[in-house]
Amino acid sequence: MIKPGLQVILFLALRSIQRHALSSFLAIFSISMAVGLVLSTWKINQETRRAFHISTSGFDAVLGARGSKLQIILNSLFHLEDSPGNLTWEQYELIKSNRGVKEAYPIAVGDNYLGYRLVGTEPALFENHQWSSGRSYEIKPGGRIFSSMAKEALVGSFVADQIGLKLGDQFHPYHGLDFKEENKHEDIYVVVGILEPTGTPTDRVIWIPIKGIQLMEGHDPTMAHSLSAVLLKLKGAAGFSLHTKYNKQGNVATLAWPIASTLSSFFDKFSWFQKVLEMVAGLVAIIGLFIIILSLRTSMNEKKREFAILRCLGASRRVVTSIVLFQSLTLAFLGGVGGVAFHYLINLISFSIIRENTGVMMHSFSFDPMIFYLFGLILVLGLISGILPSFQAYKNELSENLKIIT
Amino acid sequence: MLRLENLKKSYLDGEGNSIPVVDVSEFFLDHGSIVALYGDSGSGKTTFLNLIAGILAPDQGTLKFAGSYLHELDENQRDQLRAKSMGYIFQSFHLLQGCTALENLLVAMSFAGKVDSSRAKELLKVVGLAERMNHKPNELSIGQQQRVALARAVVNQPSLLLADEPTGNLDERNTQVSLDILKELCEVNEASMIIVSHDPKVISSFETKMNWSDLNRVQENPLSIND
Repeated sequence: MIKPGLQVILFLALRSIQRHALSSFLAIFSISMAVGLVLSTWKINQETRRAFHISTSGFDAVLGARGSKLQIILNSLFHLEDSPGNLTWEQYELIKSNRGVKEAYPIAVGDNYLGYRLVGTEPALFENHQWSSGRSYEIKPGGRIFSSMAKEALVGSFVADQIGLKLGDQFHPYHGLDFKEENKHEDIYVVVGILEPTGTPTDRVIWIPIKGIQLMEGHDPTMAHSLSAVLLKLKGAAGFSLHTKYNKQGNVATLAWPIASTLSSFFDKFSWFQKVLEMVAGLVAIIGLFIIILSLRTSMNEKKREFAILRCLGASRRVVTSIVLFQSLTLAFLGGVGGVAFHYLINLISFSIIRENTGVMMHSFSFDPMIFYLFGLILVLGLISGILPSFQAYKNELSENLKIIT
Repeated sequence: MLRLENLKKSYLDGEGNSIPVVDVSEFFLDHGSIVALYGDSGSGKTTFLNLIAGILAPDQGTLKFAGSYLHELDENQRDQLRAKSMGYIFQSFHLLQGCTALENLLVAMSFAGKVDSSRAKELLKVVGLAERMNHKPNELSIGQQQRVALARAVVNQPSLLLADEPTGNLDERNTQVSLDILKELCEVNEASMIIVSHDPKVISSFETKMNWSDLNRVQENPLSIND
């Protein structure tokens, strides 16, 4: 139902958009792309930083072989990259007994099953440690934690879902971090438990006793007492003194601490990529707004005829000006809505890829205030791009337009 | 109802010379009366209608319509007067192409401030378009488009109808149908009408006829404006 005032203006603006469907679609599409790209770039960056920072499984520091802090963190907490080297069992015992250390768990890596890492550790990790404040590891009904002296496995929820491992299943580990069929170990492990999902990299690991890795058939016997890293929960400000002891005064091990700033420096290395994406998105946005102006202007001659008819029917200059502005605003609004939808789609896909490769859980559909701000900006730009054509509509004399229509 | 005195309108040619187009010393139109105005094309008849509608401002003279002097009204007031009290019919119909027949009427009603869809539908039934009211102009025949234009012109129950060559694009059969509808709509709505045509058959179907050259003191018009 058409009603006087704002409603008839909106009705005529929508009808005009319908009549110029192709150029309207192009304007909406390009704005959607731009908004989607800007939002996704922003969201992926923010969410990745947030998710990686909270996915440290409740640890404050990691002690690893002498080398890069980032490599130690990626290897031992995110189960990415290679280990920079090994530590001795004595080094583990030493840091575990430090007064500033609240919890210490040794880990050893070097084997996989179908590409998913086997990580050796102590059962105490799953008995005592909280992976997030107030949250301990939980095991799905019927399962239990592996015994420290048995060839048993506790499977992360993501791995169990992906390769269908279930309680009682047996498997042969494969040597190395990448799956190669010819590297099969003779040992056979049995699945005794499946972890409930945590949304951390723990989910994409098969956990076995540390002795299992150390004594695996085919491994170098001289390495039977070595380990890859020690995961640490610290007391108070112990990080400073340990940092001094290991990183500044010592030269046999590296304390990856603080984890947050190490990860930040990692993400900062990719900030150029974000800037490039933002520039591309900005350019697409400008193109979209130009398309709005062009679509409004190229149809202006035809519109002049319509405006003249409307004026003859009694429409004021304000009404015809408002129709153009509303048209421009509507295109921008629809572009914004499309952009938000597009950004959620990009997030869904990219977050799923990140989860598959890192185990880090990110929230695709969480609302970000940036959406609100960018939407507002697009509406303002849409309004601005409508000003010139609407001014044209306003200043055209009805008698001039009548020449077109008679 | 309509009274104008010493109404003059000129245009500037390409060299900046003033070319007189309309010079009417006196013209009256009573409530409910119909005048058929005939004359050559390009002689200023459309300009005359545009002056009455308030679309053009005269260079000189007064024009009083429905108790108001048009030159004393601002543009918005003239727009409102046109929306509520005048109906304009064009040779080329000038329907809104993106809107259906019914929407064309409803949009016209919205500018007058009151939308009554039942009246709009009733009018479309009167002009024989009951089954076509939800069709867009490009889905209607020429004759049907003109009937939509006629219905739209009277939908706000105007006291004055201005019809500028309303049958110029129609064949003989549709011309007669349109003229009959136009007369009936004027009668039912108690509207006055000035109808402009250069077709003698059209002019002869009205009782009151007026030769434009008798009314307009500009005898030779070198400028073809809008006609």
